Amino acid sequence: LTDFLNYLMLGLTRGSMYALIALGYTLVYGVLQLINFAHSEVFMAGAFGSFLVVNGIVGDGGNVSGLASVFVVLAGLASGALTGAVVAYGLERVAYRPLRRRGAPKLAFLISAIGASFFLSQLFGKVFNRLGNNQFPDYLNKNATLFTIFGAQVKLLQVVIIVAALLLMFFLDRLVSGTKLGRGIRATAEDAPTAALMGVDIDRTISRTFIIGGALAGAAGFLFGSAFVFTNTMGFIPGIKAFAAAVLGGIGNIRGAMIGGLLLGVAENLIPTAPWVGGEAWIGQEWTDVVAFVILILILVFRPTGILGERLGRAA
Amino acid sequence: MNRRRSLPDWVGRALACLVGAIVLAMMVGPQQGSANDYGVGFRQSVLNSRIFYFLAVGALVFLAVTYKDVVLRYASRPGVRPLIAGVLILLASYFLMRWYDPLGNNGKFSGLADAVGQTPGIAPLAEVFFAWLWWVSLIVLVVGIFTAIAKQLRWLGWACAVLAVLVGVIAVVAHSSAASAGGGIDHSFGAPTALIGYLVLAAAGVLAARSTAETAATREFVERVMAFRPGLPLVAMGLVLGVLALTVATWFAPQQDNATLVDASSLFASSAASGLSEAFLAWLGYLIFAVVLLLGAAAVWTGQKLLGYLTAAVAGVAIVLTVVTLHDISKTAFEAGYPGAGGPWQDLGSGGWLLCIALFSIGAGGFVAARRAPVSAGTASSDGATANGRLHQMGASTTTLSIALFGIGLALFYPPTATTFWQQALVTDIGVYVLLAIGLNVVIGWAGLLDLGYIAFYALGSYTTAYLTGSLPVKPPSWLNLSPLWAIPAAIAVCLIAGVLLGAPTLRLRGDYLAIVTLGFGEIIRIIAVNNPGNFTNGPRGVESAVPHPVIDLGFFRIEWGGNQLQYWYLLLTLVAILFILFYRLEGSRLGRAWAAVREDEVAAQASGVNTTRVKLLAFAIGASTSGLAGVFFASDIGYFNPQNFILANSILIVAYVVFGGMGSLIGAIAGAAALTWLPNFLRDQVPSEDRVMWIGAVLVVMMVFRPQGLIPARRREAELTGLAGHDTSVRQGVQAVPAGEGV
Repeated sequence: LTDFLNYLMLGLTRGSMYALIALGYTLVYGVLQLINFAHSEVFMAGAFGSFLVVNGIVGDGGNVSGLASVFVVLAGLASGALTGAVVAYGLERVAYRPLRRRGAPKLAFLISAIGASFFLSQLFGKVFNRLGNNQFPDYLNKNATLFTIFGAQVKLLQVVIIVAALLLMFFLDRLVSGTKLGRGIRATAEDAPTAALMGVDIDRTISRTFIIGGALAGAAGFLFGSAFVFTNTMGFIPGIKAFAAAVLGGIGNIRGAMIGGLLLGVAENLIPTAPWVGGEAWIGQEWTDVVAFVILILILVFRPTGILGERLGRAA
Repeated sequence: MNRRRSLPDWVGRALACLVGAIVLAMMVGPQQGSANDYGVGFRQSVLNSRIFYFLAVGALVFLAVTYKDVVLRYASRPGVRPLIAGVLILLASYFLMRWYDPLGNNGKFSGLADAVGQTPGIAPLAEVFFAWLWWVSLIVLVVGIFTAIAKQLRWLGWACAVLAVLVGVIAVVAHSSAASAGGGIDHSFGAPTALIGYLVLAAAGVLAARSTAETAATREFVERVMAFRPGLPLVAMGLVLGVLALTVATWFAPQQDNATLVDASSLFASSAASGLSEAFLAWLGYLIFAVVLLLGAAAVWTGQKLLGYLTAAVAGVAIVLTVVTLHDISKTAFEAGYPGAGGPWQDLGSGGWLLCIALFSIGAGGFVAARRAPVSAGTASSDGATANGRLHQMGASTTTLSIALFGIGLALFYPPTATTFWQQALVTDIGVYVLLAIGLNVVIGWAGLLDLGYIAFYALGSYTTAYLTGSLPVKPPSWLNLSPLWAIPAAIAVCLIAGVLLGAPTLRLRGDYLAIVTLGFGEIIRIIAVNNPGNFTNGPRGVESAVPHPVIDLGFFRIEWGGNQLQYWYLLLTLVAILFILFYRLEGSRLGRAWAAVREDEVAAQASGVNTTRVKLLAFAIGASTSGLAGVFFASDIGYFNPQNFILANSILIVAYVVFGGMGSLIGAIAGAAALTWLPNFLRDQVPSEDRVMWIGAVLVVMMVFRPQGLIPARRREAELTGLAGHDTSVRQGVQAVPAGEGV
């Protein structure tokens, strides 16, 4: 049971980050019906941007504690979100809007996104560095055990990540369901031409959707960077997983993305280690990704529109 | 919609240009910061006096966009576009291309110019050209042509055209005399590129001189040229190349020798070479070239079908003669122990192959002329409108045919003259991916199924080959130890089954879901290969022993691959040709039309009686088996491979090749794959190797922004994008159809 809980926490931590990134995919898919393949690089940019800020605040000086670390976490989240938002906005202006104006086929968007993804990841690698082991400075005591349940240690950082992610998701949910902008996003997702007739500025709404998704991914970049290492190619795998999570929950569906992310994170950590209590693992840790994708394929085969179905987007 | 926007438009534009300039500065700036100082890369590239160049570029772009109307009015004058293109080509040949290989990385124009300056006794023409003529002529030409265009001075246009051709010839001659003074094997592209640049400039001059209209119609002009005597450009190209081949090009080059045809003739005059070869070197070569040329010219001029086919046939014979001679002289030299001679087919310069290209080009010209007789003058004058329409149409297809034929000629005879590096790149990087792109084009371009796990079938094909040839830890039954050629059917079968197994349950999913499922499948296959269950794949280390090279042994006739990459190149060409013909037939078949129907509207297709599942499954299976075939080829060519060859990024890249080339167009897929796989190899010499992916990404984005339909779009797709006359397709485009500024 101890192992089970440990893996559950690990899964929840990863899952909440997947969920944050998946929201960006889902939002953009909702309004544009296209997969924003460069979203993973927005996530990466968020990690680098927040790193510069956190590094600036903390410097090399050892541990920060107490209220100061709360402040640093907030600053990191904010700066990550800001970087992510800026990059996502630029992305939309450069790689998507011109194509939209020309009425390009859907796959052209995909290729443009892939190009932008290569470009961003390598540009960040070039300007900052291409090392594989960048670490955030210690801004809080990462491995401090907050409390113990049945022998499983719940780490402070895990709690921070999960709480931050849940808060952000909550805000997003309110934003989309409660505000005028949210209404615009939903209207655009429902039926763009009609929404335009009803007075929604489509271009502006799309830009803002990108900005919101980018901010979430940037914040996730900060969280991910704190928990693990960050590199200029870090976006790829989490990006793919998050995309899978978005599809899992029903792409275009915001709550679906949240649930899909959490589910994927938990499942890929729990299933490979199935007989959690003692003994040999059922199948090795190296099969994590296979498990994730097999679940995905199975769910799609038996429930082709994801767990919650599509809501934001239309079924074409 | 401007109600809420407080800032004027130009502020946003200026900001965008500023950001663009800074990004550009970072792109060409120095490499990366370090782990201790993350800002150093940024500071070095942005806070540096060089930034002013980039700011200037940004300012220029800003001005150009702001005063777009004025700029466009000038840019649409006839001749401006070729002028710009010519200058760009010349600058590229100066800054990017190598002019002289033996100098290595210093072999660009400036390096060669220095070397020429320091070498006494070089031909005065070369000295002059490399010292100052290059820049002076460039400036004179640009100013002259621009004046001719702006002031509409016809005589100046003609003068500049003549001058451009002259300087172009001087460039080639100067380069060849410099190269022959230096000795060594030189396959550099600088001088030919410069020649092309000068010819484009000359075209600009001619256009400026001949123009009657206020605005340019470069494309129409090109098509008029092509339609006036079809095949003429090919024959002219053949003439230029052939003359180069017979006079200055190297025919035999062991040990830094540069024997031209004349030298080679005296070299082999009393050797053991066969009489035919000696005759060819001495006089037959010239004679046969002249005959082919005359025939070609006659065929093109008269448009006689018989004459055209005769040209093609004679050119074919001439090519065979040339190739036989080349083989003979290299073999003779080797057997006679000529110093440095490496054996049959070795140490041949570019001359013989260039002559082959020239002959092929002329033959193709004859063929084109026979296929498309010119429009008679009578029709054109009697009914201007329709004749113009016909002319237009015919010109377009003739252009395509001519370019395709010339491309085939290059593909056949260029690789032997390439360096080993490029031969390797041609086969393992470019060729294999061309095969893959052809296969994926069926799935994405025709059936409209987004497959992001295409590389998995490639992996299956490769591992099947490795298993059957006994290169994996798990050996096949002993009666089954095969040559890779026998693995082809097996690999195709395995991939077919895998494709059907994956496709059957998943193909009812819509586009994006299918994408993620196939992506997952690709990753699963790769991870299985890495994790090595049952010690089958030998894990991340790759295959245990090299996959053997294929052998064809019929007793009296035996080919064994593996001696050099060229053999694989020709095997590959054969495969591509077979697939091309198959798929070309398939596109117009019942199945191909069913694919188009499913792609455009699945519900409607189903309602019209298309069995959509079966049709989609077929597309999937055909694509998968092509990929498996490519896998067999790859495995036997490269010998050793590991799961790293099958990463997801490769799948995505193949999709990019297909879309880049023009979705649904067979030639487009080939062109896209060739262009995008050529690019990294080309960039290897030009930019730091770490930055190659970044530049490719930038190229992809720019290409999609400015030409979303791809390099050579399929007719049907192009119609979708531009809208057929009378059909407003933009209605279907959903969000995209809402014009900017519609919502308030």
